[in-house]
Amino acid sequence: MKKNLALILALCMIFTLVACGGSKTTAPAATQAPTAAPAEAPAAAPAEPAAEKVTISLWTYPIGKWTDEATVKGFIADFNAIYPDIIVNVEYLDYTNGDDKVNTAIEGGNAPDVVMEGPERLIANWGAKGLMLDLADMVPAGTYAGVLGSCTSANGAVYELPVCMTAHCMAINKDVFEEAGALQYIDLENHTWTTEDFFKAVQAVYDAGYPYVGTIYCGGQGGDQGTRALVTNLHGGTYANTEHTQYTYASEVNAKALSELCAQDGITFDPSIVASDEIQNFVNGTFQMAFCWNATQEVNNADALGFDAFPMAFPAEDGVASLQGGIWGYGIFDNKDEARAEAAKTFLRYLTEDDAVYAKVVEATNFQPVREVAGVYEGNELMAEYALMNPMMGDYYQITKGWTTARTEWWNMLQRVGESDGTVETILNEMQAAQDAANAAAAAE
Amino acid sequence: MPSNTQAKRLISRRLVMQENVAAYLFLLPFLLFFVGFVLYPMFMCVYTSFFDATMGREDIFVGFRNYKELFSDPVFWVALKNTAIIVVVSVPITCAFSLWVASAISRMPVAATSAFRCIFYLPVVTGSVAVTMVWKWMFNNYYGIFNYLGQSAGLIDKPINWLGDPKYALGCIILILLTTSVGQPIVLYVSALDNVDKSLVEAAEVDGATPLQAFWKVKWPQMMPTTLYILVITTINSFQCFALIQLLTSGGPRNSTMTIMYYIYYNAFKLYRYGYGNAMGVILAIIIAILSAVQFRLGQEK
Amino acid sequence: MNNQYTRKSRIYYAFTFTLIFLIALTFLFPLYWIITGSFKIKKEILSATPVWFPSEWVTTNYANLLAKRSAPLFEIGSFVGPTIPGALRWLLNTVFMSAVAMLLTCFTASMAGYALAKKRFFGRTILFSLIVAAMALPKQVILIPLLREMSSLNLYDTIWAAIIPVVGWPFGVFLIKQFAEGIPTEMVEACRIDGASEWRTFTDVMFPMIKPGVGACAIFTFINSWNDYFMQLIMLTSTKNLTISLGIATMQGENSTDFGLIMAGSALASVPIIIVFLIFQKYFTKGITMGAVKG
Repeated sequence: MKKNLALILALCMIFTLVACGGSKTTAPAATQAPTAAPAEAPAAAPAEPAAEKVTISLWTYPIGKWTDEATVKGFIADFNAIYPDIIVNVEYLDYTNGDDKVNTAIEGGNAPDVVMEGPERLIANWGAKGLMLDLADMVPAGTYAGVLGSCTSANGAVYELPVCMTAHCMAINKDVFEEAGALQYIDLENHTWTTEDFFKAVQAVYDAGYPYVGTIYCGGQGGDQGTRALVTNLHGGTYANTEHTQYTYASEVNAKALSELCAQDGITFDPSIVASDEIQNFVNGTFQMAFCWNATQEVNNADALGFDAFPMAFPAEDGVASLQGGIWGYGIFDNKDEARAEAAKTFLRYLTEDDAVYAKVVEATNFQPVREVAGVYEGNELMAEYALMNPMMGDYYQITKGWTTARTEWWNMLQRVGESDGTVETILNEMQAAQDAANAAAAAE
Repeated sequence: MPSNTQAKRLISRRLVMQENVAAYLFLLPFLLFFVGFVLYPMFMCVYTSFFDATMGREDIFVGFRNYKELFSDPVFWVALKNTAIIVVVSVPITCAFSLWVASAISRMPVAATSAFRCIFYLPVVTGSVAVTMVWKWMFNNYYGIFNYLGQSAGLIDKPINWLGDPKYALGCIILILLTTSVGQPIVLYVSALDNVDKSLVEAAEVDGATPLQAFWKVKWPQMMPTTLYILVITTINSFQCFALIQLLTSGGPRNSTMTIMYYIYYNAFKLYRYGYGNAMGVILAIIIAILSAVQFRLGQEK
Repeated sequence: MNNQYTRKSRIYYAFTFTLIFLIALTFLFPLYWIITGSFKIKKEILSATPVWFPSEWVTTNYANLLAKRSAPLFEIGSFVGPTIPGALRWLLNTVFMSAVAMLLTCFTASMAGYALAKKRFFGRTILFSLIVAAMALPKQVILIPLLREMSSLNLYDTIWAAIIPVVGWPFGVFLIKQFAEGIPTEMVEACRIDGASEWRTFTDVMFPMIKPGVGACAIFTFINSWNDYFMQLIMLTSTKNLTISLGIATMQGENSTDFGLIMAGSALASVPIIIVFLIFQKYFTKGITMGAVKG
């Protein structure tokens, strides 16, 4: 009878072995290099053929169609036609859980090789922690001049190879604005308006029977570029200093802007929603303006939009806004593996150097190119309309130190402001408190 | 004679040994998993709480600094308070509600009992991600069903931003938590009511006890073990309320729904302060352990 | 019994029935909303006025869900199976994960629960206290160490990383221990005196008697593992290794949520588990109650 017990124990051990064995077949990469990617490994097995195969992993945040498998696999297939020995495994991230995933992967020594995102993560987060490779040698002199500064860390290293950019703007429900007679306050040709006209327009729409003209969403950090741009543009305030070392938003002008927003009919503060909810409410006609908008939003929501969503620059005293930019590109994690780093660079050179390929890469993002390239978005009216915003792009302050804390402080501050008496004095105090916390985090980094 | 006792002692010692070996052999498969993947990480968690640990660099030993910072962190206290409110409010309500439902449905025909029991268990099975998404829509400020019904019934004159108002947000969370946690207690109470000694109840009724008296004097004491068990699991559940917060409010508005669980996650996964998060986890674990011990003791005394 | 009810208590009975019926409707509503929502067109899903019933039933949400990602059916060594829609692979992964977690848990927990309930051994009290304490411990607390451990064992980003912590979780042991304590010790002793081995005593006498408890433990583990979103989120990254709820999350764009896709995915994730629950619910309710009442 003891035999039975032994049998079951043996079974148990076999099970455990199978468990480990099973796992080995799916994750042997890690046995070859301590920091290997969590990619399929069979291909990486050093079988010593004529040309050694290298497997790299590419993780993309949802940037336009770079979350669409058919598109991404298409690029990789074309790449493999030229470089058959580099195998690229793709994983798709989302903005809700993506950071958790990358961070746990880093923590577990399984960071990806190539990651596609913007400077706030590539430079201010992972770059600042020394996890990224310097890509300066991949930037041909003179290219990317406009955005390269934003892709460069304080120590001079280029942690992001830029691909595309956009100027985040806002949008209005043109049909409703027309009905309310509010179009007179808008420069329809340039898509701009002054602060004074903005408030008049909001009042007109509100008076026409629309209770929720615009909403300051502050339930989290999602899409906070919209609320930041709105507040800082109204009276020409700033968010951070140009050296990107300190936050400067606790100023009289910004407090005045928020105070006016508090007092304005039709503008509400809503701590229960974030930008994605705002966009949904805009698309279904509940809100008449969206503060978080860009070309991708219009493309994504095309089949649900029952009205003309008209892109607008944020209102400013002189009508000339300083828009918040978005710059996306590739970064390479330093996985201490020469072969993989080289393969990753080869892949990125393929995607960005040749004009024909690069144009397709950009079009897949739904954003604007970061360098001169022939034939991109030819005959695309929508993109032409949104390209009007590009000249208004302002300082890329999202790489200021302590960014994670600063973002949290910002939406928490908005929540407190939304519940306050709305005086400039109270708001300034709230702003100061948030800014102090953000600056403390910046100093600690 | 002495040799006999000695022999007996030897035999009994051998028996004890045998019993020990057998017990541990039975425990072995479980212990492999439990020690390796629960106790060891638990130990590491306590260990890390004495370090300034973050991503991408070696941990720095800081002694009790994380704990000191914790006790002077106002958000921690708010989180502790909210967690306490959730537990104090939801545990009795869950118990009372499930007892009420159970006693009502246990008197129904068998098919109805079983149907209702299933329905009340559904939110547990469906998973919080899906359920929460629908609740979020129901609480919506602009076109949510609660505002719609409230306004058409004339209970409220303008929409309430349920999840966006610090006055209501925690209440809403508790309500949803309730729907996802009454399933098991109802199942338990229904069977407990079934298992109550019928002759005792009948005897009491013959003695002229009202149904209410019969319930409190006869049925309730017999259901005590069930109640105790429900208390323990609901307490643990309420403490661990996390997914709801993450998916609905991220701790806001103005920290009014910030709980310890969410604050741990926030520190560890958003600010990458592993040591600080772990210190908080240790405190939380201690609190929960003390509470469960007290509940067990109380139950055993009764 | 019914003739004992007075008129007053009949009214009370009707009132409670109606009330419970209404409450039950709110419990059913999320499921109804998800399932009908998964067949709605985008405009109706986003609509500001509730569309209680789809005006036209479409399957585009499901088609999107199946088309958006692909993964191999299986991989054994370097042998890769045919490519199938990612969502199907995720569903298979989820079933595999929950089933294996369930089997392993039942196996380990029934033995351990028996030992804890019926054996006197050194360190028994300490072990039981540890089990209760661990049950109360929030999982988030041990995530970071667990993660480091999984990657050093090369288990990170494999389905096993999501299975093992579930098996280690002591709730099953607790449940079965409570259950086994209700079995008279004399039965076990009688069997031992008859000369049966330890193992035989367990398999022939104990196991048949704790079966309902094991059944409860099985369903409980299956449901828990299926819905253990956070553990899966942290441990799994590759498209081919994802679970269904995780996979759907990766399909979201920046600041734009495709609710149709989420509804379809949620329906796909919850309907199988609900069916499993409905089939086994009798067993489940029986087992779980007996265990608790005896505690």
